[in-house]
Amino acid sequence: MRHRRHRREAGVVRGAVALDKLAVLVTGFAVTFAAVALLSPRLLASGSVVRHQLAAATSFSGTPPAQLPSALDIQRVVPLSDPTGATRWAPVLRATTARSRPTVRSATVGPLPARTPDGTTNIVVADGEATARGTQWVHVRLALLPNDTQGWVPRNALGGWSFVETRLVISRARLTATLFRAGHVIFRAPVGVGARGTPTPAGTFYVRDRLTGFTNPMYGPLAFGTNARSPTLTDWPGGGVVGIHGTDQPNLIPGRISHGCVRLTNTSIVRLGKLMPIGTPVVIQ
Amino acid sequence: MRSRDLGNSFVPLTDAAQERHNLPGWLSRASLLKRAMAGCGALAGGAVGATQLAASPVARRSAATDHAILRYALVIERLQAAFYAQALRTAHLTGETHQFAKVVGQEEQAHVKFLEAALGSAAGKSPGFRFGDAVTDPAKFLTAAISLEETGLGVYNGQAVNLTPETLADAARIVSVEARHAAWARALAGELPAPVPVDRPVSVSRAKQTFGRFISA
Amino acid sequence: MLSRDIQALAFADFDIDGAVRDTCASMQGHTRSTFLRRTVAAGVTALGGVAVWPSAASAAEARSDVAILNFALALEYLQASFYTEAERIGALHGALKQQADVVGAHERAHVKAFRELLGSKAIKEPRFNFHGVTESPDTFRSTAVAFEDLAVAAYKGQAPLIKSRSYLAGAIAIHSVEARHAAWIRRLAGFLPAPKAFDEPLDAHRVVEIVNSTHFVTLRDPQTSSRTRPRFTG
Repeated sequence: MRHRRHRREAGVVRGAVALDKLAVLVTGFAVTFAAVALLSPRLLASGSVVRHQLAAATSFSGTPPAQLPSALDIQRVVPLSDPTGATRWAPVLRATTARSRPTVRSATVGPLPARTPDGTTNIVVADGEATARGTQWVHVRLALLPNDTQGWVPRNALGGWSFVETRLVISRARLTATLFRAGHVIFRAPVGVGARGTPTPAGTFYVRDRLTGFTNPMYGPLAFGTNARSPTLTDWPGGGVVGIHGTDQPNLIPGRISHGCVRLTNTSIVRLGKLMPIGTPVVIQ
Repeated sequence: MRSRDLGNSFVPLTDAAQERHNLPGWLSRASLLKRAMAGCGALAGGAVGATQLAASPVARRSAATDHAILRYALVIERLQAAFYAQALRTAHLTGETHQFAKVVGQEEQAHVKFLEAALGSAAGKSPGFRFGDAVTDPAKFLTAAISLEETGLGVYNGQAVNLTPETLADAARIVSVEARHAAWARALAGELPAPVPVDRPVSVSRAKQTFGRFISA
Repeated sequence: MLSRDIQALAFADFDIDGAVRDTCASMQGHTRSTFLRRTVAAGVTALGGVAVWPSAASAAEARSDVAILNFALALEYLQASFYTEAERIGALHGALKQQADVVGAHERAHVKAFRELLGSKAIKEPRFNFHGVTESPDTFRSTAVAFEDLAVAAYKGQAPLIKSRSYLAGAIAIHSVEARHAAWIRRLAGFLPAPKAFDEPLDAHRVVEIVNSTHFVTLRDPQTSSRTRPRFTG
């Protein structure tokens, strides 16, 4: 080590005079030795120059520490607000089969594909987990009829978790859409919902994809796909997925006029688009 | 000098220790934050803060500065090693606290040996220490252990920036172990092992107030 | 209760289903060997052109303070996401939950601080897949032990390379906190909080290799947006 080369030579002493355990540093060979002789005859008598070296160490006053960057001068640590209130979702990495219980020997509930009918990555919202025989399973909501179908899928069919704190509530009675974040209302708008023969289903769903840049004005500038399915239009291409989108007939909103989708005015859907991430639960009452 | 695996077996935590962690008070956010804010300040003497971090000319790094810092570090390590050795003899420690004193004492002794080897004849002899009832009373032992470990860590954290890179690399191998010691002692006392997200340096003058009362020579 | 000293920071020790890693690698369109080759060639592992994760090769060459801070930020993102996910999923209880909640808050504070220090030069937060280790106490515990010991070794390896004294002070101040975290979780796992008298550093290359071996860092965002025409019922 480098400091070995700076070993103290015999006879050179950094003397110190101890005063009630506070040490004053005195440098200089001759002065030091004389001071020691005057004030500590006991030490001189013992001939223990070595003990002065230790006293010198305790006389160390320290070099000034460098300043912490102000960003690291952290005054408060903020805990997560409502950590378990967030909704978690994960992409489906490989197609799998959802089961009624967390074991391969239980009944099949239905398929869980890796892609949505829109060609986007399929996702699922989860609300429970279990480990059975060393394998992890997750309890998820599915895009199957009847609506609100849930099942268990192997954890390793899914990717990493994302968490959202938003929640969209659609009231079919009041014809409103309300978006909450961490319990606070951050968006409200009137909506059109399904007409009598083609109702918007009730239940708890989630936003699973976001389509934009298409040229069908019927859906406005932006459309969200959900895992909700029309209970009546089961033969619809793509399976009758219920979406949340804009419209080219804003005069019909609010109203019970759609084939099951939730329609907002184009201004509202664009505003919603800035606030509502993928995975947001959609509660249709 | 390479460390050797001390190969100690770990004494199981007592039920009392586990229960303490399950008390509702521990889990409430308010108490967590309160402890987090109070912990470091209390142990470092409360004076740590703006004054320590005030802009001051930073020392030029040199072998001489390294030398001075390591010599002071050796005083600290010797003090700690002597403290644990004495407590093991006279404090009638039991359970995990006994294991803590034994393991940590061995590690402090290893630090002493390392620094003595690095400093050669400049290491000098150890001063005398007197620990009073901190080495006879188990509760006071733990309080003193926390104080010694936290203060020692704070000094290392404060002085390390002024070491040359090579010496810093060596010192860093010790510093994190001191932090582990501090965390362990706090956990034994029912405190949060890591009370704040960024550790504060402790000035040497502040440290002397803590260490001074234990040095007798 | 046995004390098993975790000497080697090898994630292979942990309860990660090996089949998952192979599945993910094939899902991402390349085998593990091509995956590593691509990251090395790219210098910094990129997602859409934005740097999200240091590659082993670039990390080995990182010498500028900004590169070192970004390396620290990458590790803090990893730890913060790990603890935050564990807290949100809610599978932990008692002392382990307390550790996750408090340490998670610390790591999030570290992320915030490094992002503030780096400003526009900060790497973006990567997406993680923790393959279930946050979802049960046992796997959480052993992964947390590895993470904290790894963080201590990583900061220790970088400290002597930092040029700015101010950044160095910061790194040192966080390095000792990570060591406290390590002692804390080790004790909860039944291990010695301070297993050795001297902790050893790890160089950046080795740290990145270890993290990459976990496959916790996801390089592809799920494609949940598209320009296709909606086929909803309307």
